[in-house]
Amino acid sequence: MPHADTARVLRLAAPFAVAVAAIAAGYGFSVTLSGYLVYLGISVIVACIAILGLGVVTGSAGMIALCQLTFAAVGAWFVSGLNVIGAPGGFVAWLAVGGVAAGAAGILVGLPALRLRGVNLAVVTLGLAAAADVALVQVQFPGTASGTFVPRPGPFADDRSYFVFSVIVLVACATTLYVLQHSRWGSSWKSVAFSERGTAAAGTSVPRSKLTAFAVSAALGGISGGLLAGQVGLALPASFTPLQSLALYVLSIMAGAYLIDMALFGALLWVAVPELLKRWGVPQDWGFVVFGALGVQALASGTNLGAVIRTTWWNRTAGRARRQAATRTLAAPVTDVAAQPPAAAPGGAPVLEVSNLSVSFGQVQALRDVNLAVPQNAVVGLIGPNGAGKSTLVDVISGFLPRAEGTVTLDGTSMAGLSPTRRARLGLRRTFQQDRVPPGLTVDAYVRFVARRRLSHDELAGTLEFFGCPPPRTRLSTVDVGTRRIIEVVGHLLARPRVMLLDEPAAGLSHDEHIALAERLRQVPHRFGVSVLLIEHDLDLVRSVCDTITVLDFGEVLAAGPQEEVLSDPAVLKAYMGETEML
Amino acid sequence: MLQGALAGLAAGGVYAVLGVCLTLMSRLVRVVNFAQAAAGMFGTYIAVWLVSNQGVPIWLATVVAVGCGAAISAAIGWVVSTWLSEADTSARSAVTVAVLLLLISLSFILFGNKPQPFRPILGGPAFQVSGVVISQVAVFTVTIAAVVAAASHALLTRTAVGIKLRALSERPTTAELIGIPAKLFGIAVWAATGAVGTLVIAIVAPSQSNDAIALSMLVVPAAAAALLGAFRRLDLAVVGGLALGVLQGAAAQMTELSVARHFLPFLFIVGLLVWFQRKEVWDAAR
Amino acid sequence: MNALELRDVTVSRGAGPVIRDVSLDVRPGAITALVGPNGAGKTSLLEAVSGVVPVSGGSISVDGTPITRLSRVARSRLGLVHIEQGRAVFPSLTVVENVRLSARSSAELDDALALFPELDERRDSPAELLSGGEQQMVVLARAFAARPAFLLIDEMSLGLAPVVFTRLLPMVQRFADQGVGILLVEQFTHLALGLAREALVVASGRVTYHGDAQALRDSPDTLHAAYLGG
Repeated sequence: MPHADTARVLRLAAPFAVAVAAIAAGYGFSVTLSGYLVYLGISVIVACIAILGLGVVTGSAGMIALCQLTFAAVGAWFVSGLNVIGAPGGFVAWLAVGGVAAGAAGILVGLPALRLRGVNLAVVTLGLAAAADVALVQVQFPGTASGTFVPRPGPFADDRSYFVFSVIVLVACATTLYVLQHSRWGSSWKSVAFSERGTAAAGTSVPRSKLTAFAVSAALGGISGGLLAGQVGLALPASFTPLQSLALYVLSIMAGAYLIDMALFGALLWVAVPELLKRWGVPQDWGFVVFGALGVQALASGTNLGAVIRTTWWNRTAGRARRQAATRTLAAPVTDVAAQPPAAAPGGAPVLEVSNLSVSFGQVQALRDVNLAVPQNAVVGLIGPNGAGKSTLVDVISGFLPRAEGTVTLDGTSMAGLSPTRRARLGLRRTFQQDRVPPGLTVDAYVRFVARRRLSHDELAGTLEFFGCPPPRTRLSTVDVGTRRIIEVVGHLLARPRVMLLDEPAAGLSHDEHIALAERLRQVPHRFGVSVLLIEHDLDLVRSVCDTITVLDFGEVLAAGPQEEVLSDPAVLKAYMGETEML
Repeated sequence: MLQGALAGLAAGGVYAVLGVCLTLMSRLVRVVNFAQAAAGMFGTYIAVWLVSNQGVPIWLATVVAVGCGAAISAAIGWVVSTWLSEADTSARSAVTVAVLLLLISLSFILFGNKPQPFRPILGGPAFQVSGVVISQVAVFTVTIAAVVAAASHALLTRTAVGIKLRALSERPTTAELIGIPAKLFGIAVWAATGAVGTLVIAIVAPSQSNDAIALSMLVVPAAAAALLGAFRRLDLAVVGGLALGVLQGAAAQMTELSVARHFLPFLFIVGLLVWFQRKEVWDAAR
Repeated sequence: MNALELRDVTVSRGAGPVIRDVSLDVRPGAITALVGPNGAGKTSLLEAVSGVVPVSGGSISVDGTPITRLSRVARSRLGLVHIEQGRAVFPSLTVVENVRLSARSSAELDDALALFPELDERRDSPAELLSGGEQQMVVLARAFAARPAFLLIDEMSLGLAPVVFTRLLPMVQRFADQGVGILLVEQFTHLALGLAREALVVASGRVTYHGDAQALRDSPDTLHAAYLGG
């Protein structure tokens, strides 16, 4: 399909075209604007790079970082210091070193806040900002005492050409960031912001996702600081105070700085508001008061300018996409389902084996001596009343509850001591009962992120279609929760795992969709070469999909075996207290 | 060295009181209040203005300051509990970051950005132990830290109001369903911690570096103190605050540590976080 | 009129409605059972009545007073008590403290504690140290102390052994005997239908049966059909 290919090439080329256009526009500004405005323009670019960095941590990865200008100070420090000692490479190399050094500082600061969630990063970063501020005033930047100015790079010595240089640096940073945001790293940032468990279950390390976000964010801060050192010649501690870091954080939240255009808008505000106040003769501190007040509003309402603008735009263009999606629901039968031969007969050595598993929470014994095996190419059902321990069992098998007794083996290899991420990578995948699909991604980006391998467009689109999911370019935020959870299943299946644990995949679907899902699940072992452990409450679904069934009741295995045998067991009937009779 | 360490007690007492306030806020209204010290700073500056421009007696100005600190805090509490009643701690705390920025900037506009001309309520030495001077301020702050922690503990375990507060902090929705007014109680907690924080800052400000930023940033060592008790234990918050103050006081005596001592609260925080990471578990909610 | 009345109540969560156009009355002393498969929206309906989630359409009233715009606290003052899913005790509070939260006098407290003599020895232990059944007893005692007019019960049996549950179930009848109107959500359908006078089957957010509980219990076909949306 040459038409679709052209469209895809255009989509890929678009950001680079924008980059070239931005540099051209920058050159245009540098020759047309007044000298003063060009100087202010450099300040806008310096701020923009810092805000871009903040956007990575606060916007994409959803954390509070209050020391962006401390990282900028690290960058400025290195540029000034390398200048003083006359290091080789010149300004551009020093700028790069400053960025790398700030990135390393970012990793060091992020490390203690990695595992614990919540506001720990905010406390650490504010602590660093406050300490660095006082320390900087005391020791000053290198070269301050001797008055050694940082020389601008050769051909960019005057303000107008340094502005062009800054534009080039900004465009390089923004393009790199754009590519990163659309890579696995970017997906992992958005995923970890929404759900850490969801991220780990997709085989991505949660600490690494956070660390890459910290590092990229701080590195951009460092580059911004180095650029500032080149702009002013002598960096001063007054440019890097904690108050300014706070204001920058608030501004990036207000603007929605994880979007590149909104970071530029935020930077314009950052420079324009105090400048205008100065012209009007109003104390410049009012600028931060206004930022503070708008920040309270933005944080309290949970929205930001960028999101509002984007949503309005999408709503205007969404009509078309919605009509497209409406033609595809799970309930619509897929023609090739009936044509598929039945699944290859299950058998052979069990792929997944669980032996003598026990877990207790305080006084409550959640699981007691549970044994379970999932043979090759089988769909095994796990049923039981609410609160019987089904979800706990899934948590134990997938590694989220490490303090369980007993063993879990995958293809004969013990999973003991392995993290959920490791287990997912070894081919032990699970889905969640709750929605853990990050709404900030497209279906395409999400499925590729979860699958962790190269997927052809046809394979991806075909599988989505098989499960009645919306097409790849759909935004997950426009998809209902039930369908999101089916998309989660698709992503994990495309990872071609050995075993797939499905935790009530049908919850939230209509009855018609239940039946349709059952038809597809029956095909899974044959189509994807995956064995399935299906946790379900709906006995109809279990009956139509599963070859063998294990019944869990009060944390113990009540019955296990072929479907008919188990479902006619009086003990099982009793566990459901009449519920089975009627179904 | 010993003199330095004991001189740090006054600051340590402030850290302890603010640390107790932060712990109470975190437990009872699910927020790490970054504007805790800033509210106190703002109230205190109003008092200084009243004393130096209006000739109001110091004690009355201090009362007004405490009232203002409580009111500012209550106002933030109102915003947070109205719009973010179901939000997580991070989202609620982020609002206080914006408030921190707002309060510092506003104080620059209203009161200028120079340190304020304080006339201390308390001053001079309280007593001497074998040649080492203990100041009145140190005695006051350490005492009030202990009193606030003990009183809060008693309130939470012995009184009907305290039990309702604990119920609210453990299961906010369930507590509301049985008729405990979450918003009212929440705002009361904000106001009370605001009042206590302002009182201690108003008393101690004259003996500390007292520009708006330095006073507002007292929240950093306070957070370090609260972190020792994992934002749960009041007694450990007091211990943490005092220990940090004493350490800083001792470090101030050693010239070779003059730059490094600024990083003490930061290192304290980092050390504690690394220690807590040992027993990390998967958070069921995320 | 004395009743908890729901008219065309619709509740939305996230992407779309989870419960649509439900109308029902709970009268004082009557038990109405709400049954149906998991994920059908029963819990959301109870939460809409007590104010945990807002309704997106329809009206709810208690004794003629519209309540959809009232706060949770205001609703509780009208005598609405909601027993949430999964043993809603306050873990660090003792048994007595838990129950006292709802009691207005020491007499009410003593009455409520007297319901479960098996709790006597554990009165001063934190609720988190109790077994699941004991915790559910604390919740029931707390509800009793509140002297409710209407009681919403969500899956009381969750995670409890049948023998424990059968000890707790008669309490529901006892509430009704004292004139409390009860809306009961229960996964053990037959037990719920055995207690209730009126029953609704909810599947995929819609009511598929509304009528006599006994009739539903006696005709598995009706129940089956109702479940399957047929």
